[in-house]
Amino acid sequence: MEKIKVRICVGTSCFVMGSAQIQSLEFNAPSDIADKIEIIEERCMGLCKDITNKYNRGPFVYVNDDLIEEATYEKVVAKIREKIKE
Amino acid sequence: MNDSLFIEIGTAQRQKHGEDCFGDTIFSKKIPEERRIISILSDGLGSGVKANILSSMTTRMAMKFVESNMELSRSSEIMMDALPICQIRKISYATFSVVDTELNGKTRVFEMDNPPFMLIRNGKPVNIRYREISSAKWKNRTINISQMTNQEEDRIILISDGVSQAGLGNRQYPLGWQRQGCLNFALEQIRKNPHISAHDLANAIVKEAISKEVDHKAGDDISCVVLYFRRPRKLLVLTGPPFEEKRDKEFAELVADYDGKTVICGGTTANIVERELCLKCEIDKTSFDLKIPMCSNMEGVDLVTEGILTLTDVYRMLKEGIDTDKNNGATRLAKMLLESDKIDFVVGTKINIAHQDPNLPMELEIRRNIVKKIFRNLQDKYLKEISVRYI
Repeated sequence: MEKIKVRICVGTSCFVMGSAQIQSLEFNAPSDIADKIEIIEERCMGLCKDITNKYNRGPFVYVNDDLIEEATYEKVVAKIREKIKE
Repeated sequence: MNDSLFIEIGTAQRQKHGEDCFGDTIFSKKIPEERRIISILSDGLGSGVKANILSSMTTRMAMKFVESNMELSRSSEIMMDALPICQIRKISYATFSVVDTELNGKTRVFEMDNPPFMLIRNGKPVNIRYREISSAKWKNRTINISQMTNQEEDRIILISDGVSQAGLGNRQYPLGWQRQGCLNFALEQIRKNPHISAHDLANAIVKEAISKEVDHKAGDDISCVVLYFRRPRKLLVLTGPPFEEKRDKEFAELVADYDGKTVICGGTTANIVERELCLKCEIDKTSFDLKIPMCSNMEGVDLVTEGILTLTDVYRMLKEGIDTDKNNGATRLAKMLLESDKIDFVVGTKINIAHQDPNLPMELEIRRNIVKKIFRNLQDKYLKEISVRYI
């Protein structure tokens, strides 16, 4: 099975809002998903600067093509599990 | 001024075992208007507080006289008159070596009673002929004056007699390490590492001198000054997107055209350079840290980091000292700043809208302010040559 791509924004504002905690997925992900994901850090994805206000606040994380706003470790893990089930 | 030499001054000192303060004094000064650097090493009679006062007085006086280009025999007489006279030896005693050098390479050295300076050029010692002058008043003292024109990669080493007499009296070095021993050691160090910094070389010499001593306890004050003439190490720091987007290309090309090391500080800034110069940029996972976002690797750029958080932490480290146990973007950048002599900042002044969100921590400073604090600190505390351009 192809790995699920988890793209984490590590731009300044996402970082201070907590994307560093999400990055820890790389080193200590729950065992059921650890070998099924690929973590990709991205420098600012630019979503926070979208002044048309399409998006809420960071941290922004993409799990495959689904965007999670105001992401947390739990939210991302839940999303990944959802994707695995599909 | 691209062709002018840069002089790196490195010093190292150790006080006599059991003493609290240094009996030797080292004092260096840059006079930017005259493009001149003066460095003085003075050894006070005896050790401890008394020696410290004698040598401090000597360096301060000598600095004033040399700086104002006063005639040498006259000024040395004044100095000897001013210093208190030792009750036992009946001499007012503090030795000195003065290196007075201009950035185009012209150098004069004045010495009184210190071990003669060493000049190392192309990995070999060079002997410079000197002229002696003595004063009518203090007959037993002479001053040696040498003149030379320095070239790139020259090194001048000054030592106090604590170095040349290190190990005096022990079986292996009955007459001490001697100047020649120290010179050989310095040549060996340079042969091993031709670009060894002045700071490292001075420290290596002092460490080696102490290892010669009985029980590794310094028998006298040990001091060493190294002046290293070299091309300035240049560093370009790009941070922040330009105010006007149409200048992105011009901005990115600064990186490609620079003749030195380059750093990009800021995620968006890196994206601009990546896009404009079609370079590949990838996150470097070895720089993971919970407080500082990761660095990236970009072809042709020496370091790519995040912006504000990294700069804020760099400023903290410039004030408090570099965290040696980390390898994140901020420590890498701080080290690079300190290793460079000439640093050019190019600061994009576009405001990051996302950072104005009141929910974000207060520490998210405005880029211009934090860069201003950093370059002032580098200028005043670390004597770096700084230029800043806002775009």
